[in-house]
Amino acid sequence: MPAILGIDLGTTNSLIAVMDHSSPRVIADQATANKDSAATLLPSVVAIAPDGSVETGRRAVEMEPHLTVEKNGAVSAVGFPGAEHGAVIRSVKRYMGLGGAEIAPEDRARYTFADLSGPVVRFQVGHRIFTPPQISAEILKALKHRAERALGESVDRVVITVPAYFNDGQRQATKDAGRLAGLEVVRLVNEPTAASLAYGLGKMAEGKVAVYDFGGGTFDISILNIKEGIFEVLATNGDTHLGGDDIDNAVVDWLLTGLPDELRRERRVWNSARAAAENAKKILTDKAEAEIALELPGGRTIGKTLSRAQLEEIARPFVARTLERCAMALADAKLAAADIDAVVLVGGSTRMPIVRRDVAAAFGREPLCSIDPDQVVALGAAVQAGVLMGTQGDMLLLDVVPLSLGIETMGGVMERLVHRNTTIPTSVTEKFTTAVDNQTHVDIHVVQGEREMAADCRSLARFKLGPIEPQPAGLARVAVTFLIDANGILNVSARDERTGREHSVDVKPSYGLSEEEIERMLEESIDLGEQDLERRMLIVARNDADQILAALHKQLSEYHNLIDRSERARIEELMSRLEAARVGEDRQLIAGLVEELNDQSTPFAERIMDAAIKHALEKKSVEQVS
Amino acid sequence: MVECPSCGRRQEPHLTCASCAAPLGVELDCFEALSLPKRLAIEDEALERVYHDLSRRIHPDRYAQAPAGSRDASMRSTALLTRSYRTLRDPVSRGLYWLELRGQKLSDDNKSVPPEIADMVFEVQEQLAESREAKREHRAESADLAAGLEDRRVVLQTAMNGYQTALRGNFVMWDMDRQSQQELISELKLILSNIAYLRTLMRDVDHGLVELKAA
Repeated sequence: MPAILGIDLGTTNSLIAVMDHSSPRVIADQATANKDSAATLLPSVVAIAPDGSVETGRRAVEMEPHLTVEKNGAVSAVGFPGAEHGAVIRSVKRYMGLGGAEIAPEDRARYTFADLSGPVVRFQVGHRIFTPPQISAEILKALKHRAERALGESVDRVVITVPAYFNDGQRQATKDAGRLAGLEVVRLVNEPTAASLAYGLGKMAEGKVAVYDFGGGTFDISILNIKEGIFEVLATNGDTHLGGDDIDNAVVDWLLTGLPDELRRERRVWNSARAAAENAKKILTDKAEAEIALELPGGRTIGKTLSRAQLEEIARPFVARTLERCAMALADAKLAAADIDAVVLVGGSTRMPIVRRDVAAAFGREPLCSIDPDQVVALGAAVQAGVLMGTQGDMLLLDVVPLSLGIETMGGVMERLVHRNTTIPTSVTEKFTTAVDNQTHVDIHVVQGEREMAADCRSLARFKLGPIEPQPAGLARVAVTFLIDANGILNVSARDERTGREHSVDVKPSYGLSEEEIERMLEESIDLGEQDLERRMLIVARNDADQILAALHKQLSEYHNLIDRSERARIEELMSRLEAARVGEDRQLIAGLVEELNDQSTPFAERIMDAAIKHALEKKSVEQVS
Repeated sequence: MVECPSCGRRQEPHLTCASCAAPLGVELDCFEALSLPKRLAIEDEALERVYHDLSRRIHPDRYAQAPAGSRDASMRSTALLTRSYRTLRDPVSRGLYWLELRGQKLSDDNKSVPPEIADMVFEVQEQLAESREAKREHRAESADLAAGLEDRRVVLQTAMNGYQTALRGNFVMWDMDRQSQQELISELKLILSNIAYLRTLMRDVDHGLVELKAA
């Protein structure tokens, strides 16, 4: 069986990891020269050009409308100027599985939408329309390709992590994204629980463990009991709309204070300010002050100094909200902070000193952060993939459902069938009967949430039981089983108590994509023809060939004085062989020639580099003299 | 008789197959699911050990690569196992379930306040009424009232602990004494209804405290 991989599909960054023997490892992007840990992070950013072509990650970030300072000092705008030309979408996770009415006001203003009233938000890009799972699928495809390139084998099955506090619809949307990316999602795992697996694997955390997961867009707290390889979640709580992004946005507000509204609302200005805010926040992890310089159109400049104390003032209310959630989780687990044996920090936002300090104070102990907080969730997802492959021996995760599930009863009251923090998979069977004579259908409305009235909870699905044989009222008995699977997703089945016959249940989700819509998207998917790995590897090899051929053509004409005749002849001979192979279908041959050409031209490339450095130094000394 | 979805062998219903050990995916009562005798006294640690051990063997994570029939049975059996564990882990819900297996329901004769705690119920209701009034009239003594409620909560918790201990103690006795089934049932019902009332009172007090603090 081919390996199952682990994916952390984050709000800000996404990663993919694999089990290497018995330890997990994140897979870096081989296409970048960058060999530090940043190469393992794929920015969760998708750029869609007017012709429908898609870029992801760093290349998508470059296409985002922002301001750039030219060499002559002029400020110019780069990237797509507006939705009619293309769009760059970041933080798509904030839109997953939500209906238009549920989107936060600041998230509504960020993009152009075709539909903000239906059960699924739809992004408008030129004449095209995209749903959040389609955008997420592009991120998943990029990770899939990255892993296939690194491992040299096809990747078809994955574990994907989701915030523990994701509701049913958000989970379903994540599964849909996987399907649209051509992946079988073997399991959805909660992010904090995944992190606990990574820590628990090395026995770095045991007993009662609190996992504090403060990411780019979401916050989760999970309390676990880790004992002899069993990872039992006792309680979980969180906020799917609370993350480092919110702190960045608050810094942007501070940065742009006093500017006219039309300038503040300008997408390019806002994007540049957001990047500056994020950067300042990172600097303040180690330093006491960060200088922010923001160039605006029309030659105006904002220069401000942000101190760590100021940043902490801005961040404090957000951190306080996370601690309220921690207290709720502890109460649900029937534990006091003093009962906790270890606190684990997960997510990029836990790098902020204020977060570390306040969490330490709340739990009365120094938190653990020995595993990179950006990587730990992906590593844990790979460990869970190992469990599912049967290679992780005795480890077993017993997770919970984060929100109560119930049905709407008479008078609109929510009758709770599954309480929050119930271990999954779990099922409950409820008996329904008819209220009037000869009734042939019973309508059932399933909701999720903690409020008393169904209208205040989130609608999950509606379905009709039946057809029921016409009988006097109250005689028919239909047993409906609500089963929440190990992914935290609801499955419904129904059986006629009298006849024992299974009823078909046509569950209509209140939010999200219908089965037909997904099928249609799969058919329309442009690169479905590219699914074949061999085909894709061939394209990659051809691209590599094009790159090296173009570079060498240019260098051979520009730096003809740096190469002698025999070396030139040898390189040109290889180049013509590669040009011939490139139009063929033999990937091995193309890849082999690229490698050979690379080896043969390295001394020449080094001479060019030396010359360039020498030239730059000479120029500098001339300038210094004058 | 049921058929094992993994190996096809026909057998009496159990959590796992007698021949291939795969989960059968059939419904059982909570005691049967955990292979426990139908007794009221259960040791917490032993229960957790059985639950963990069975989970390790039948959980869907162990059947991720199995055929659909086995996967489905694993999911259903694990759901049953988890539900059984939760029901039996808490002494109160265990007692209620034990009654249910004998066709007895607490709600049948739980209409009136149990005499043992009638005084307490009355006092709590007065306290809560007072704090609601103070809140409505924006009076400043809310700190005193809150302290009063906090004290009350401690008293309720102590009473609760007492009943819980009595419940556990009696479990052992009841298990041994098989003679007076009817007496046992009414005794069990009495303690359980006291506990149920105390729980409601504690929830009301907590609610009252939240209201006072919000004011």
